[in-house]
Amino acid sequence: MKKDKGSKGKKLFVKKADDRLSEDSPAKSKGTPDEGVPSMAEKKKPEKSAAPDKPDKLPEKPDHLPEKPARKNTVESDPWQQAFADDNTILIKRTVRSGQCIQFDGNVVVMGDVNPGSEIIAAGNVVVMGALRGVVHAGATGREDATVSAFKLQPTQLRIANHITRAPDGDYVAPEHPEIARIKDGVVVIETYQMGQDRQSKIG
Amino acid sequence: MGEVIVITSGKGGVGKTTTTANIGTGLAALGHKVVLVDTDIGLRNLDVVLGLENRIVYDIVDVTHGNCRMKQALIKDKRFEGLHLLPAAQTKDKTAVTPDQMRELCDNLKKEFDYVIIDCPAGIEQGFKNAIAGAERAVVVTTPEVSAVRDADRIIGLLEAAELREPKLIINRLRPLMVKRGDMMSIDDIIDILAVDLLGVVPEDELIVVTTNKGEPAVLDGNCRAGQAYRNMARRIAGEDVPLMDLEANDGFVSKLKKLIGFK
Repeated sequence: MKKDKGSKGKKLFVKKADDRLSEDSPAKSKGTPDEGVPSMAEKKKPEKSAAPDKPDKLPEKPDHLPEKPARKNTVESDPWQQAFADDNTILIKRTVRSGQCIQFDGNVVVMGDVNPGSEIIAAGNVVVMGALRGVVHAGATGREDATVSAFKLQPTQLRIANHITRAPDGDYVAPEHPEIARIKDGVVVIETYQMGQDRQSKIG
Repeated sequence: MGEVIVITSGKGGVGKTTTTANIGTGLAALGHKVVLVDTDIGLRNLDVVLGLENRIVYDIVDVTHGNCRMKQALIKDKRFEGLHLLPAAQTKDKTAVTPDQMRELCDNLKKEFDYVIIDCPAGIEQGFKNAIAGAERAVVVTTPEVSAVRDADRIIGLLEAAELREPKLIINRLRPLMVKRGDMMSIDDIIDILAVDLLGVVPEDELIVVTTNKGEPAVLDGNCRAGQAYRNMARRIAGEDVPLMDLEANDGFVSKLKKLIGFK
């Protein structure tokens, strides 16, 4: 896909047309409080098992083995946590306006609206706590299990992995409930969002 | 080999995009192969006016940068087989394309289409320079306001400097009743100042707002007087000799119609 150019590597990339977004939208890895900004997480990745207080010195420490029990609380070691925390996530606390483009190698959560003429491109899932009216691309690096959910799901165009859909022509009915779009049997389906649905499918 | 026509104005909000959409649709309705090129990168509108916004995957910047083939970026209109749109990018700015790239793009497009109609952005900066780079003919849109006419004059000067001789003029949003009262510049006043040939006059029409919001060009509405004006202009561009429509007579007809349905 054409937008893949930005998703090389495991680097954080948040790109907007006119102004760069940085400090007001810290990305967090779900379930790992010891990881702050993603770039840090990236550096630390090999030593994720380390104790949270001294992450930098651990590789040189010969006696870091006894600390291994600390692993129990990290994402890598705990399958239960893995089920929930699989990617980096970025939180955007404002309206994404026309001409603005959010690209991120992970999940994107927007607390606000996504207006027509804007683009959200995520390697993971996209969640919009508001109206999603722009172009959205979840699973941009090819993940077919990515989903798009929004309080008002009315995108100009909705893409998941290599599937592209748009609303049918003609009169548009505004959605009344939060909805979720995902790929089922090779087609994009939009359903009313139900709490706990995701959790059930992940564990089961 | 087709013709490349740029539609420009200098001033914003005078109706370049509406004119582009309507003349393009009008030419397609006459059976010509038409492509509309939106060069207003960063503030694209033509796709919305045509109701094709949700079909955009690739845009003009992708084409000029070689991210996709021309065919992939062209959007087929939902009403006319021969009408195509090359949309602008929204998340980039005017510097994403250069005049040389535009020239090459226009050369490629005119091999396949009878008419390449370029929607120019407002202003006289990079976007304007890009838009006129590949053009062979120019159409200047103005409204009967001193500010718009002043800007049109400046644009005509710049077009002549760029070897785009004899641009044609469209006077948009004319209100015949106000002209009659002497409250608005008349067609003759405007031509007196600008000294260029007239392509057409579009009367002020509320239906334009309705059709634009719906994403359906006004030319397709048989009852729309502005649509009639655009149909005439399309035929003139195609080489037909169509007389100017009688704006005042039309006014009479509308008031007659209103009386008929009890509006007075």
